[in-house]
Amino acid sequence: MFALSYICNALVVTACAKEKDSAFVTVRIYPVFDGMQLILDTENYTNEHGNLLTISLFRFYITHLKLHVTGTSDYVTPEGSHLIDAQDTTTCSFSFSVPLGTFDSVSFVTGVDSADNTSGANSGDLDPAKGMYWAWNSGYIMAKLEGNSAVCKTIHKAFEFHIGGYMPPYNAMRQVNLPLGETITIENGKRSTININADAARWFAHGLDLSVTNSVLIPGRAACEIADNYSGMFSISGSTP
Amino acid sequence: MRKNHIKCSLIVLMCIAAVAGGSAFDENLKEVNFVIPKGWPKPVYNLNRNKPTTSGFMLGRKLFFDPMLSRDGSTSCASCHTQFSGFTHVDHNVSHGINGLKGTRNALVLFNLAWNKSFMWDGGVNNLEVQPLGPITSPVEMNNTLENIIKYLDTSINYKTRFYKTYGDSSVTGQRILKALAQFTCMFESYNSKYDKVMRKEQGVEFTTQELNGYKLFRKNCESCHKEPLFTDYSFKNIGLPVDSAYFDIGRMKITGDSGDSLKFKVPTLRNIEVSYPYMHDGRFRSLKQVLNHYSSGTVLSATVAKEMKDGMFFTENEKTDIIAFLLTLSDKEFLLDLRFRNYRD
Ligand code: HEC
Ligand code: HEC
Repeated sequence: MFALSYICNALVVTACAKEKDSAFVTVRIYPVFDGMQLILDTENYTNEHGNLLTISLFRFYITHLKLHVTGTSDYVTPEGSHLIDAQDTTTCSFSFSVPLGTFDSVSFVTGVDSADNTSGANSGDLDPAKGMYWAWNSGYIMAKLEGNSAVCKTIHKAFEFHIGGYMPPYNAMRQVNLPLGETITIENGKRSTININADAARWFAHGLDLSVTNSVLIPGRAACEIADNYSGMFSISGSTP
Repeated sequence: MRKNHIKCSLIVLMCIAAVAGGSAFDENLKEVNFVIPKGWPKPVYNLNRNKPTTSGFMLGRKLFFDPMLSRDGSTSCASCHTQFSGFTHVDHNVSHGINGLKGTRNALVLFNLAWNKSFMWDGGVNNLEVQPLGPITSPVEMNNTLENIIKYLDTSINYKTRFYKTYGDSSVTGQRILKALAQFTCMFESYNSKYDKVMRKEQGVEFTTQELNGYKLFRKNCESCHKEPLFTDYSFKNIGLPVDSAYFDIGRMKITGDSGDSLKFKVPTLRNIEVSYPYMHDGRFRSLKQVLNHYSSGTVLSATVAKEMKDGMFFTENEKTDIIAFLLTLSDKEFLLDLRFRNYRD
């Protein structure tokens, strides 16, 4: 009985795979600082304003990913919300299957949409056990950057940015569109990879000075300004092929 | 050989756990059946996404009473939410948790939660399922993390068996913990007070003259905020309580950042008000008489104070007594003594 149902399952699976031709695509995120591989805790970095700093934690959500079909307004949307954590490379790449075709750009949202912010306890990367949820003012922390800088007049000279907020006017979700340098063609049996740099230096764009701004932990205007900054941190660093 | 032995005792333990669970069910659990009382609005909480089942309810119940959910094993949800007081922290003006550390607010009653539009005195929490994150992580309450709790539950065969029964596999996740707690707490339903029976025109139940007079005064003066049948409209209002300078709690403004929301707090339900003293967000009043004295003559007029307070209300001593007599008809013994909500060390 058990064996029989197993065989039936196997049949169904192969039948489905035959029906819709598709192949695997991997998106791989590379945490960097000014284009160089990000090294947590030990490496010293200088931001645009000139503050010397180290980074201890770098995390953000990627949701609503879309692959855009070359020359059309069509796109495919693989399921899932992804929490990227610079400390854990296994979180920095994810794969999904897409129908065969040619794609020329990728888009996604940094953050978590309002439906997921209000629907209660979610699963997977959105599980509140991931530590990206505010307990007293419900909602996801969409991105976190923490570190230290001598210019911070805080305990342990720490800076902490916990960015989120889903209610207008302070919605911290940001749309990101990235043209792929060259189009990728997804063919049967081929695995393609899209490599994306996430540059933590961009959090400090527009001259953010850590001696002035070093703790943003609630939704609001300050959080949105930082979200504006980091929405520009992504760039395509190559795709194969 | 030794390994086998351990395996065997694990299985025996699992059986014991299953049997213990079973007996608690037989004796104390009527059906786990969420009720929408006749004439009530549709619940706000989406029960279709987390329909209470017997095993989910029992898992939630075990979690609710388990002090091991706090960092030092001292404080459970039930430490601050006891059934006989409508699941508030009876006789505490502000709640205390781990190491006796004090919070700044009076615990809220827990019942009819599926109708809440928001949670906490300031409405900062938007869904019943994520509400436990507050107490679990607060340094003055349980001072723990969901991650730690998962580790603890993962070592317990009793719990693992329950996760298996409830969710079809035994893996413990934050989502499953929170959903089980919600399955338990959303079943706290209070709709069998004398007031309800009078409204349902049940035979032999009638208001006394005093209660009826109190009801009339209530409808005239209190109904605009404490709206029937839930006795709250879930809005946020400033009722002119003098600010306590020790806490300086700005209420709703803490969440919205809007100065127009300064000193506003969620209108609380008045069901089971007889047993849920002390009263107000900081527990400043010990008796209903003090509450009525406030409404009658104690309100402070600040910028955000409610219209009803600006217009003012006044009650004679007799009227106060009548209103209180009516408020006492909102006590629901069936709910307060419901055996399903007791702690069974099962
Ligand atoms: C240390 C005491 C304490 C502990 C422990 C505690 N609570 Fe509470 N609870 C409170 C207080 C105080 C409030 C009101 C807080 C506020 O409004 O800021 C509250 C509010 C609530 C509310 C909101 C009710 C409403 O109508 O808005 C729910 C639901 C709740 N608690 C459930 C729980 C659960 C479940 C647990 C266990 C995981 C728990 N509580 C543990 C003190 C506690
Ligand atoms: C303008 C809206 C409004 C009106 C009118 C109003 N209340 Fe309230 N009531 C509230 C709010 C808001 C609170 C909580 C205030 C706080 O803690 O800061 C409250 C608290 C209470 C409490 C304490 C409940 C608890 O659990 O601590 C009682 C009892 C009460 N009201 C009774 C009455 C009665 C009786 C009347 C009519 C005489 C009345 N209220 C009129 C808004 C109102």
